[in-house]
Amino acid sequence: MLSKINKNKIGYFFIAPFVIGFLLFGLYPVYNTIALSFTNATLMKSSSKFVGLLNFQRLFADSTFPTAIKNTWELWLMNFIPQLGIALLLAVWFTSTRLKIKGGGFWRMLFYLPNLMMSATIAALFFSIFSLYGPANQFLVRAGILFEAIDFIRNPQVMRAVVVFIQWWLWFGQTTIILMAAMTSISVSIYEAALVDGSNGWQMFRYITLPLIKPVMIYVLVTSLVGGMQMFDIPMLLTDGRGSPSNSILTNNILMYMKFRSTDGLIGSASAVGVVIFIMTTFVALLIFYVLREKKGEKSKEISS
Amino acid sequence: MNKNYRISNNIQRFFIYLFLVILLVITVVPVWMMLVNATRSTTQIQQGIGFFPSHYIVSNYKILLSKGLDLPRGFLNSLFISSMVTLITVYFSMLTAYGIVVYEFKGKKFLYNSIIVLVMIPTQLSIIGFYQYMSKIGLSDSYATLILPSIASAGAVFFSKQYLESIMIKDLVDAGRIDGCSELGIFHKIMMPIAAPGAFTLGIFAFVGAWNNFFNAFILITSRAKYTLPMLVQTLRGDVYRHEYGAIYLGLAATVVPIIVIYFLFSRYIVNGISLGAVKE
Repeated sequence: MLSKINKNKIGYFFIAPFVIGFLLFGLYPVYNTIALSFTNATLMKSSSKFVGLLNFQRLFADSTFPTAIKNTWELWLMNFIPQLGIALLLAVWFTSTRLKIKGGGFWRMLFYLPNLMMSATIAALFFSIFSLYGPANQFLVRAGILFEAIDFIRNPQVMRAVVVFIQWWLWFGQTTIILMAAMTSISVSIYEAALVDGSNGWQMFRYITLPLIKPVMIYVLVTSLVGGMQMFDIPMLLTDGRGSPSNSILTNNILMYMKFRSTDGLIGSASAVGVVIFIMTTFVALLIFYVLREKKGEKSKEISS
Repeated sequence: MNKNYRISNNIQRFFIYLFLVILLVITVVPVWMMLVNATRSTTQIQQGIGFFPSHYIVSNYKILLSKGLDLPRGFLNSLFISSMVTLITVYFSMLTAYGIVVYEFKGKKFLYNSIIVLVMIPTQLSIIGFYQYMSKIGLSDSYATLILPSIASAGAVFFSKQYLESIMIKDLVDAGRIDGCSELGIFHKIMMPIAAPGAFTLGIFAFVGAWNNFFNAFILITSRAKYTLPMLVQTLRGDVYRHEYGAIYLGLAATVVPIIVIYFLFSRYIVNGISLGAVKE
């Protein structure tokens, strides 16, 4: 027994590299970013001094910051809602024993494919598709839908729609796979019992499937939110890297990057952007957990009603 | 009644398949067009949309190189970084997860709970502080800044723990001890071979993630010779390549082909890996 206790101490050696690596490359950088956000640090000079909340005050006084936040939220919501909707539909169809959709694995595999591709490549690809002489204009002009080619790249509405489309395109396959995994883990006997009770397809979806996959839907929602608030690669690489045309696809992280790469290298104010976005994301994520939490007796009520 | 039911079922199925085919076209056409255009000449591309390969791949490649895009170098840079990240992520995540699953020590619960919180911490909260601290200790513009942090990748530890718990046989660990294996020896010789499928799945995700990572490299790497593939791709948009569409598409296709090959070989692992990461039994 004594040797067993001693053996357990060996566990510390197994986790030591992770803990050390985390302190050095995970925790300290987070601390450093927060500390920098209270200073006037730049990349050009080695000394910096504490300036209190000045970076935050400047940030809130700057009109591009609300624009960036609004854009990030809109771009995320507009792709997340159809993403979840289509993923739910696909997952229900693929797992339905009544419909017997063939080749579930095949569809699922191809729908997930875009997610594995480099965002730099995808952004460049869609840039060339929508450029003045690109395939989109070729197609629309030849089909007679457009009289002459349009400069899509300079059109704010089109570029926003393209970002939303790409984000949706990248993620709906993954969401489908996750929801399918959740749905297949539900016991068939629950559905059989509901059938005996005379439930129709919609009732089974509403009162069995949805409540039982709720934890997984919360997981999808929160991870998508955290990722969406960090949206960078696609909007950054699709146009000139500054959220053009007219700041329509300027996101939080692009704003942070622009401060970081400005001629003075304003890392103090760049850090402040990161800190504010983190606080906002965490607050919303906790709110989601709170609002959608499992209320007492809810499960039994939903199934019986 | 039964017949009506079957007819309505078939109508429904028809529309579902129609919808799936439309989705499939949306998903595959942009990718296919990119691959095909990589083999077409710029003139052909400007003449119209085509869905069949042509034979200009070599001349496109020559144009690409003549404009100074060192694609082979970027490819090797990315391959090196991604391989190192993969090895380190898989080994240390499995090691950490094994420590958590097999041993009972003080602070274990706290460690595990912190890992779950850590998964949620976004890069934007650490990247600036990380950059400044790396330049201070003389590691700016170095691959170490991209590789070393994978020692502590919280998401990978979480995945490994879920996986190891599902396959762990504690008796095997005890049998190893009786045979006189060291604790680390048990992990290397007994546990790793059993956990190989999970380690492989994790490795694919780590590789693809590192291969595609743009944001971190874009902030941390500055010298042109060290550019990774996504950073090079980004330069394809510049004025030098204006109107060399064939060459641009070839450059883009080159970044995607290795990933597509990996995917078609191992898609089963990837799909199962996504499910395992999200659904806790």
